[in-house]
Amino acid sequence: MEVLRIFLIRCAALFGRHRLDEELEEELQVHLELAMEEHLRRGLLIEDARAAALRDFGGVTQTRERYRMQRGMPLLESGWQDLRFGFRHLRRNPGFALTIVFSLALGIGATVSVFSVAYAVLVHPYPYANPDRIVYPLLADRSGRLDWTQLTGAQVRELAKSSVVERLSARINRSMALTDHDFPESVTASFQTGDSFPMLGVPALLGRNLGPADSPNGQEPQPVVMLNYKFWLHHFNGDPGVVGRTLELDHKEYTIVGVTGPRFGWGGNNGNIDIYLPQRLSDDLPADLSFFVFFKLRQGITRAAANAELQPLFEQFARETPENFPDQFKVKVQRLKDGTIRELGGTLDLLFAAVSLLLAIGCANASILLLARGAVRQHELAVRSAAGASAGRIFRQLLTESLLLSFAGTALGVLFAYSILGSIIAWLPVDSFPNEANFHINVPVLMFSAGLALLTGVLFGILPAVQVVRPGIHPMIQAGNHRIAGSVRGTRLHSALIVGQIALTLLLLTAAGGAIEGFTRMMRVPLGYDPHNVMAISIPLQANSYTHWAERVHYFTRLRDKVGELPGVVSVGISTNATPPDSGWNQTFALLGKHSDEEQKALIHFVGPDYFSTLHIPLLQGRLWDAAEVDRGATLVLVNQSFAGRYYPHGDALGHSLEVSALKSQPPNLLAVSGSDGWMQIIGVIADSVNDGVDHPIQPAIFMPFSTFMFMGTQILIRSRTDPYPILPSVRKQIAAVNRDQVVGVHGDGRLETWIRQEPAWARARLISGLFAVFASLALVLAAVGLYSVVSYSVAQRTNEFGIRLALGAQRDDISKIVLRSAGVRVGLGMVIGFGLSLASTHLIAHLLENNGHDPLVITAVCLLMVLVCATACLLPANRAASVDPMTALRCE
Amino acid sequence: MTVHRYEVDSIQEGESVEENKSDVLQGTLDLMVLKTLETMGAQHGYGIARRIEQVSDDNLRLNQGTIYPALLRLWQRGWISTQWGTSENNRRAKYYSLTRAGRKQLEMETANWERIAATMARLLAVR
Repeated sequence: MEVLRIFLIRCAALFGRHRLDEELEEELQVHLELAMEEHLRRGLLIEDARAAALRDFGGVTQTRERYRMQRGMPLLESGWQDLRFGFRHLRRNPGFALTIVFSLALGIGATVSVFSVAYAVLVHPYPYANPDRIVYPLLADRSGRLDWTQLTGAQVRELAKSSVVERLSARINRSMALTDHDFPESVTASFQTGDSFPMLGVPALLGRNLGPADSPNGQEPQPVVMLNYKFWLHHFNGDPGVVGRTLELDHKEYTIVGVTGPRFGWGGNNGNIDIYLPQRLSDDLPADLSFFVFFKLRQGITRAAANAELQPLFEQFARETPENFPDQFKVKVQRLKDGTIRELGGTLDLLFAAVSLLLAIGCANASILLLARGAVRQHELAVRSAAGASAGRIFRQLLTESLLLSFAGTALGVLFAYSILGSIIAWLPVDSFPNEANFHINVPVLMFSAGLALLTGVLFGILPAVQVVRPGIHPMIQAGNHRIAGSVRGTRLHSALIVGQIALTLLLLTAAGGAIEGFTRMMRVPLGYDPHNVMAISIPLQANSYTHWAERVHYFTRLRDKVGELPGVVSVGISTNATPPDSGWNQTFALLGKHSDEEQKALIHFVGPDYFSTLHIPLLQGRLWDAAEVDRGATLVLVNQSFAGRYYPHGDALGHSLEVSALKSQPPNLLAVSGSDGWMQIIGVIADSVNDGVDHPIQPAIFMPFSTFMFMGTQILIRSRTDPYPILPSVRKQIAAVNRDQVVGVHGDGRLETWIRQEPAWARARLISGLFAVFASLALVLAAVGLYSVVSYSVAQRTNEFGIRLALGAQRDDISKIVLRSAGVRVGLGMVIGFGLSLASTHLIAHLLENNGHDPLVITAVCLLMVLVCATACLLPANRAASVDPMTALRCE
Repeated sequence: MTVHRYEVDSIQEGESVEENKSDVLQGTLDLMVLKTLETMGAQHGYGIARRIEQVSDDNLRLNQGTIYPALLRLWQRGWISTQWGTSENNRRAKYYSLTRAGRKQLEMETANWERIAATMARLLAVR
């Protein structure tokens, strides 16, 4: 009770301090007057009486101070004082304070944001129950290449019975048309088997999940639909009353039974799923209907055990449906996140390494500045210590300043983290990370980075206090320490920090140089086609429509011609599967009269003759098809230069024949002309254009008339006189004029330039080179500032010495040389170490990043840049030292 | 006349160094102040300081200033109260007087002190 009472009284005394001070002053005054009067009465003279009274009192100031300490909360009050003093001190040196705050903030911001992305994408991307047990089977062929496989309904049911499978989810995705509006809208539907939602184990946001009861065995599935959260948001504006209403799809009514949770993205193999519908797995399904399967492994089953268990089963499947399987394969089940790790893992690992370097450089920079500052303040601290400041008080003062800086850095770092996180997400390659990924600042990493910043601040901030307290104060005050060359304590630590900083910066710069080189190389890749002012639209067909070969050819031709009528359009071409930069269908082929033991594969493209003129791809030899040949589905093919060069190196490709046995008709979906799987004659050779992504060499390609083999849809390329995007609405109108139910799909904004930018390899290279460039430039700036401040402080400390040297006849050049020499050693050492690190890391980086450049020219350029920046950072203070006036310098204290 | 000057003043500097010693000495000054207030009634700071010095026949020379933090401490504990009055030279001055809690504290500390003093005396008497 009493303790509390005293505490409260003391707290109360924090307020109205002014009045309490006045009362104390009055009390002390009366005391002194009474004492003086007594001395006067004893016969002392007035001056002596005053002196005696003061002597008896024993230190008015001390009494006042001690009284105040007793009165309020001394620690709190002095803390507040320290804070205000520290703030004033930092405001007097804004450059110093800002540099430290920025150094720490950049390191923290970059590290936290990159790690947060890595965590969201690689470590914990899925909101489902036990996501690490959910797997899908891939098949590794002889060369180790992993490929998807599809299973028939009967095979799926067989697989579900396996002892390693707990629950299984099979799906078919296709686009459907929303037909309750004036214009049909294309939606991506995922038909999920009954166990899918129970396997995922996440509750619906509204209504209920789809379940086994929605697709009872042997019956048509219930006409019910579940909406994806994002679709619900933009199509129904997040209306909570949507459950129970109906949705008209392909002219059929479906009842909405539920809405998924916000992070739910199941089924999205390529882009997002809009709606989910039930799918049955009965015996009466058409034999050619095939599924992608996912399943949850039973508790305790390893992936290796699952692979071993499933291998014989899949081999049995391969005997049943050999067309879906490679000749020889190994089953390799993959966790959901394994694909993302393959796509983005290396990139993010590398970025994380880069930002860790940046954090280290930032902390080193802060340390350097704090040490340099501390060295300059030795004198001030010594004086304060002599004037009665206790060691604890000096410690507290410096600690307060350091904490102030560290906290400011951390706060700014959090802001940076948020904005950097935003730009990384915007630059992440589309479709190469799970759409379930939930990006938010990762708190443990934030804590770790902030802790590191705090530790840096505290450690290097109070180091000067240690140095003041340890030795006797007197020499420090008397000598200052300006006069003694290189007498700064901690010089070795200082040098080590500078050397380390320069080494790490050089490492980061060379890595950035490599990444940028890789990216520019990719940007400069000769495409072989002209994407400028060309747009692609896709024309998906609805199920069971245009099921006759001639009807479908006619329909596609009419759509193309109708779009071609638009005034701004220069040319239009049908490009079923040939829209660059990643085009074609990789299939084996045979050459007539040329037997090969090796598997020969080429990218098969189905196009119209206008395809080449629309993309400005020149014909090198022979001829193109004429309209009549396309209309009848003539079995005449064109090959690209790579094909001709590889198989007919003497330029005699024309007239030979080839055969692609996979081109078999499968009505009502796949419609082929008769003879499509037979021999086809080569009638022309066209120039190479990029067809396997911008990061891979051009593959041999075969071009066939689109009419020889048609899928459930096609694409149309449109070249316009100006930017094609604005004419997209007119294009839609033209399509609707032919068939008002026809859906028009657009990838991104449709422009072929966007298609390139959305290539995962391109986007990855852009992300990594962009971020690397920014981080490396920041590191360079930090290193330059660090070096500059160290040299500046050492110059300031040696002003006196330089004055003496000048007075004794040293030339100004000599002074510059002295300064440069001492800095040069550190810079040189740092560069050598950094260069060694760069060389050592090229192998590692190449492993993580396939498109990295390692041009010696780039490394040389980077080193030169580093030398240039370091030289500037040293020369400025060196010149200042050289231009010092000897008289001023000598008097300088 | 030899003057033993006890630097009662110096005790508080030792806050962190010699915890026990300072407690005893601090308590001593507290006890002196409480006793003085009991015998003299309400008194101002100078009066208390002079009274302590006179009673000790000037054997004890206070740094008179130290009396003020001590008075504040006693006030915070509720052992003394303050009121403004008029001093001998007609100035407004703060007068301190003993509270009931202070009287009780004085009794306790006196008994305590006597016990310590007796113990000390016996200890020192042993040859």
